[in-house]
Amino acid sequence: MSEKLKRFGSNNKTLLIMLGVIAVVFIILSLAVPNFATVRNLTNLLQMIAPIAVMACGATYVLVIGGMDISNPAVMAASAVVGVYYMTTMGGNLVVGTFVIILSAAFLGLINGFAIAKLKMVPMVVTLSMMTIGTGLATFLSGVRGLPRLPDSFSIFFNKTAVIIILLLVMLVMDFILTRTKFGRKLYYIGNNARTTKVSGIDSENIIMLTYVISGICAGIAGVINTASIGTARANMGPQSQILDIISAAVIGGVSTSGGSGRVRDAVLGAFLVCGLTNVMNLLNVSDYYTTLIKGAIIIGAMGIASFRQQQAAKKGV
Amino acid sequence: MDNNLSLELRHISKTFPGVKALNDVSFSAQPGKVCGIVGVNGAGKSTLMNILGGIHQPDEGGEIIINGKKVVIADPKASTDLGIAFIQQEVQAFDTMNVYENVLAADLNKWRKKKGLGLDFKAMKKEAQIYLDTLDSRIDVDAPVYTLTVGDKQIIQIARALCQGGRILLFDEPTSSLSDHEVAMLFQVIHRLREQGYIIFYISHFLDEIFELCDNVVVLRDGQVVGQAEIGDINKEQLVEMMLGYQVEGRVHNREGALNDVIFKAEHISGEKLPRDFSFTLNKGEILGVWGLLGSGRSELFNTILGIDKMMDGRLYFKQDGELKEVTQKDLYKHVGYLTEGRHYDGLFLNMPICQNITSSNLNQFSAKGTGILNTAKEHVESRKLIEQVGVKTPDENVKVSKLSGGNQQKVIIAKWFLKDPEILFMDEPTKGVDVGAKNDIKELIFEKAEKGTSFVVISSELEEIMSLCDRIIVIYEGRLVGEVAKADFSKESLMKGIVSQEEKNAEKEI
Repeated sequence: MSEKLKRFGSNNKTLLIMLGVIAVVFIILSLAVPNFATVRNLTNLLQMIAPIAVMACGATYVLVIGGMDISNPAVMAASAVVGVYYMTTMGGNLVVGTFVIILSAAFLGLINGFAIAKLKMVPMVVTLSMMTIGTGLATFLSGVRGLPRLPDSFSIFFNKTAVIIILLLVMLVMDFILTRTKFGRKLYYIGNNARTTKVSGIDSENIIMLTYVISGICAGIAGVINTASIGTARANMGPQSQILDIISAAVIGGVSTSGGSGRVRDAVLGAFLVCGLTNVMNLLNVSDYYTTLIKGAIIIGAMGIASFRQQQAAKKGV
Repeated sequence: MDNNLSLELRHISKTFPGVKALNDVSFSAQPGKVCGIVGVNGAGKSTLMNILGGIHQPDEGGEIIINGKKVVIADPKASTDLGIAFIQQEVQAFDTMNVYENVLAADLNKWRKKKGLGLDFKAMKKEAQIYLDTLDSRIDVDAPVYTLTVGDKQIIQIARALCQGGRILLFDEPTSSLSDHEVAMLFQVIHRLREQGYIIFYISHFLDEIFELCDNVVVLRDGQVVGQAEIGDINKEQLVEMMLGYQVEGRVHNREGALNDVIFKAEHISGEKLPRDFSFTLNKGEILGVWGLLGSGRSELFNTILGIDKMMDGRLYFKQDGELKEVTQKDLYKHVGYLTEGRHYDGLFLNMPICQNITSSNLNQFSAKGTGILNTAKEHVESRKLIEQVGVKTPDENVKVSKLSGGNQQKVIIAKWFLKDPEILFMDEPTKGVDVGAKNDIKELIFEKAEKGTSFVVISSELEEIMSLCDRIIVIYEGRLVGEVAKADFSKESLMKGIVSQEEKNAEKEI
């Protein structure tokens, strides 16, 4: 039994450390901040984190294959605007509209994936272009006056509870696929060494393409959540700076930016840490100017610790 | 050079979790002698080097004594300060800079002009020239390094080591990327350094070099010193036996029954550059050798047939249901395995555990139809079986492949393809960079598998090896088939015949 426990510990170091950090921060905050440990604040917090966390799940897949997708927030905004445009201006059905959001995000992801996997273009360049395309599309469709509000039923259906359930489902399903299925294993193979993958007889082109589609779908789901929480969609709902939150969530969760390692579960916890910070500073009435500054410093610090530990491990030869 | 230069290791041990990499290693080195260090992969040579280089710390109780003083080598800088310098197999040089800048790269501060920010290039060139003279080298100090040969770069690396105050020089497989001529040059330099009283360690897999160069030799096995000898008192067979702990019996493979059941046929294979119009057949259970010089298109032939490189022209036939049928590359790949030449480049997933490397060739065997959910328990069981079958030395199947020695890594790749159990196995230099013991193991594995009916196509640049391994050898030259030799006629001359006649033809054309 203790042997098993030890094995679990060494396999899930990041998870245990992150849970520890979150627990410590949580205890300190609930003692120090009067309104922190209320159900209301915590569920609010979860709702706020959910879009970032869901996109961090997609980013994890992309990072695992050694890729990069910085178009996520823009794709999220664009797909939400397309969906809301369909539901309001075109008078479409709300259920169909939800799928329109997700499918249009998947389509933009497919374009990313096609360019990267089949045309062998550089991920950074492709997704950077997609970022401007997405923002442009969203701005164009929402027009000067913005889109009208959705009927309340949309927000009521995707309420806090539903959002938390969606986040949990996305995390569990994607983590399971990544660690326990053939498809997931192939992602690790590709990220570890794409040439060996090819020699091993694994056709990686379609898998890479599908990975970017999944990243798009995650952006779409985040789009649905965001749309429900503000009751409509705007071009500026996915600020480009958000990609930093997403990538750093994954990296703090131990996902390697050079590919081949990391887990969805840990990236979600990373999102909790990154977004939790912002919330905490709001509660403590820290000025916005300092918030970004402190956040940046903490992210660099956390990444520094991760890289330091990696070096130590390499030194010990373990 | 001061006369009290000395290095002594006393009772050095190093324990890694689960492995005792070094166990009570003691020996000393004298100035003006070249000391060879030999041992199979995993014997502890690298660990020993890492301890001297300050990368690892020895366990409690071990002592390193330099110039009569007990020292602690806490980090790589301390190692350099003590005068220890490494000359590695991969040449480390700043390619776009000049020779003298490379030689003096370690401490450019010293060369700053008293007034102003610039460097005193004149003095630098003079100083660099002194070190090159020490090595008796005629390299131009002004030449940019990218214009030099690998051998010359190696010399510059040595000059840099001397410039850093290196007096204990450790050569780690320095000749593996050098031509014969360059090796001779390097040996001259090492001889010169020996005359000047440096302490020199020389690590190599090539035992002939050890006998040519070294004065004495230390043999490591399983982390222990199992023998020390003056080079004159020992012969190659004894050395190999010490390294392995047992005698090698070079088994010659004798096949029973004829090979006349064609399983694969390639016709008129042409790639983008090489090969050109190459055809051959392969029988069931046959070990077919492909022999050619470096750059003859050997590896390209494999890559083209298997679809790693683009095939411009050609047809492939594979025997299915008792009939030779034309197949596409994709269909063919379902029936073959491919051990590539560069195991780090495209053979392994270095940062993944052994078991996941092994199962990468045939994930379908472990995943449920439809859902694709992996049966990881079965994965571990099957991996363990294969690890045992091919004899990978490892505590368990969860170890990362990057932690294994070269020979064991090669065996992991073999295990990977044995798991898939393909009808044909293509192997490009299966014993490259592995030690004597593993070499023999790998050969035995190929024989065993071939006797059970698997066909092999093997590239090897070692004549002895390819002749002892194969049933038939085809010769490739400039991407073309220039000869085929049956087992009975194996000899260096018969293999070279095709190449020589082709070269003569080329010469005629030029005239």
